[in-house]
Amino acid sequence: MESVGLSTSARERWRAHRLDASALLRAGAVGVLLLFVLLALPQLLSLYYIDAMTQVAVYAVVALGLGVLIGRVGLVSLGQTAVLAIGAWVSARLLFATSLPFPVVLLASGVITMVLGTVVGLPALRMRGLYLALITLMLAGAITVVLATVNFPNGGHGFLGYNGNFVHIPSIRRPAIAASDPAFFRYAVVVAAVMFALVLAHVRSRPGRAWAAIRQSEPAALAAGINVTLYKLWAFALASFITGVAGGVLAAAVRHLYSIDFPTQDSITLLAVVLMGGAYSLWGAVIAALLLEFLPALLNNWGVSADWLTIVFGVGVLQVLTTAPRGLAEQVPRDLARLWRLVAGRGRHRPAVGGGAR
Amino acid sequence: MPSWQDFQPFIVSGLALGGVYALSGVGLVVLYRATGVVYLAFGAVGAMGALIAWSLINHAAFPDWAAWIVAIVFSAAITLAYGMVFGAALAKREPLVKAAATLGLLLVLFGVMDLLWTSSGGASRSLSLPTDNGGFQVGSVQVVWTQVIAVGIGVAIAAATGAFLRFTKLGTAMRAMANDREITATLGVPVRRVEAAAWLGCGALSGVAGLLLADLVALDATTLTFLVISSLAAALIARLRSIALTFVAAMVVGLVHDLLTPIQSLTNYRDMTPFVLAAVALLLLSQRRVISLSREEA
Repeated sequence: MESVGLSTSARERWRAHRLDASALLRAGAVGVLLLFVLLALPQLLSLYYIDAMTQVAVYAVVALGLGVLIGRVGLVSLGQTAVLAIGAWVSARLLFATSLPFPVVLLASGVITMVLGTVVGLPALRMRGLYLALITLMLAGAITVVLATVNFPNGGHGFLGYNGNFVHIPSIRRPAIAASDPAFFRYAVVVAAVMFALVLAHVRSRPGRAWAAIRQSEPAALAAGINVTLYKLWAFALASFITGVAGGVLAAAVRHLYSIDFPTQDSITLLAVVLMGGAYSLWGAVIAALLLEFLPALLNNWGVSADWLTIVFGVGVLQVLTTAPRGLAEQVPRDLARLWRLVAGRGRHRPAVGGGAR
Repeated sequence: MPSWQDFQPFIVSGLALGGVYALSGVGLVVLYRATGVVYLAFGAVGAMGALIAWSLINHAAFPDWAAWIVAIVFSAAITLAYGMVFGAALAKREPLVKAAATLGLLLVLFGVMDLLWTSSGGASRSLSLPTDNGGFQVGSVQVVWTQVIAVGIGVAIAAATGAFLRFTKLGTAMRAMANDREITATLGVPVRRVEAAAWLGCGALSGVAGLLLADLVALDATTLTFLVISSLAAALIARLRSIALTFVAAMVVGLVHDLLTPIQSLTNYRDMTPFVLAAVALLLLSQRRVISLSREEA
């Protein structure tokens, strides 16, 4: 990166300035896209697709959490759907039991999920790689069994808040400003954007650099004086927090929660789409959520069985792991750029530039 | 607390379940030791074999035994094919990537099964082995031959595999590969052929396990596919190394699971047994923390 001898202050200032310009351009593009999603998209889409897009906003945050663990720290968790279910359970319980403002409930469910996730994560962090993935799969399986027995709160009394005898099950409340589906979609997108900003702030600062070091080599990070356990736990806490918040949005989006909606296999599908989308980039999380929630809605509308999608995801995982470890978020732009160079007549295959994956 | 009388039948069914877990667990451990792959598609492959057998028996009027053989051959062939294509391509990657890739196979098979043998609409299938009809009495407990076979196969496979790894040339080669693939290859062991043997054996075991579980538990793609997680628990308790420990762990998991059934307050939580036991065992066994620079997992 740094060429020795040329590091005059003028050159550095020029570089910083150039970086600023491209970062500004990128931020502007994201802003325009966000405005389009918030203002134009609800006008363009039918209610059916608005609901699907609300799910995309929720699962983009979930995928982001898993992406942080896999892409930034190198920890694979197969239990993120269970974490999402915990977040949804906690916020549903709080929404029924209290009249707290909705953002406060989201925050609380994020924090409670974070504490639970960290408590579970603390012993699991003894393990690395394969064993960590398998123990999270085991824990997710256990949580699924517990949820199937205690059920989601439906407005009943007691700690669990479940009453199996209800004939008319009350819906989970939504914030007053976002009662309708399009309004709630906008709300979900804003929450997702805040969560993305939170993660970006982490990735760009000290924890992000520590995670990068840990991912490269744990012993080297340790030798460099990085508190490996602290930063690994931090990643777990961050992922659990945003997944818990996403659970709260999900609870209010679907309005009735059932434990069969959170099967263990969803954690596996989630891993598949996150790998396909690209765990190393924030855009990968958006792509993963579109694959996971928008495509099935589209196929369902066309009368195509969602099973085809499962098959495609399976093939996608194999393809990504054998040939394109960085996923669609990087592969497609790279292939398009190659295609463009071919079309533009240059025809010369230059080695693809690996940066800019953010 | 229920009486001893209530527990007795569950000892038998628990041992039978443990036998199948042992069968699956041993298959997983052998493959892991030879190739470094945790084969998470084990259950899906077995499930598809069982569903094919069901179709052949009910729609193509195959004799039962021919359908079972087709199921086992199918499972072995799919597993071998996966091992030859993706197992080889990923041979030098870390164990986590190898395991995640088998999730790809799991998803493909799961999608195909749900497409061809859809379970929505309440269609329920069952595969019953002829050994369900006969049995004998031990005290007051009725024992079905299928349960005996499940325990028997579990014991036999565990013992045979242990002896195979210990005493045969191929088994020694597999153990050598578990230590270091490159050095084993340098010593003149036909690495690819040994791996192929491990894939084939593991696939055949998944076919047998699929048929037995379809009979003992349910013939349902989702259930059978994700039962691999329970079987994996036994292998994990043995840290994917010891055949004997896998067998013992599988029996304990099966027994505890079924013995919880008559206890009112715990019966709903009995499916947690393998997960909780595996999680606790893993945590206890990983007390010693070693940092290593190699790609070997903790």
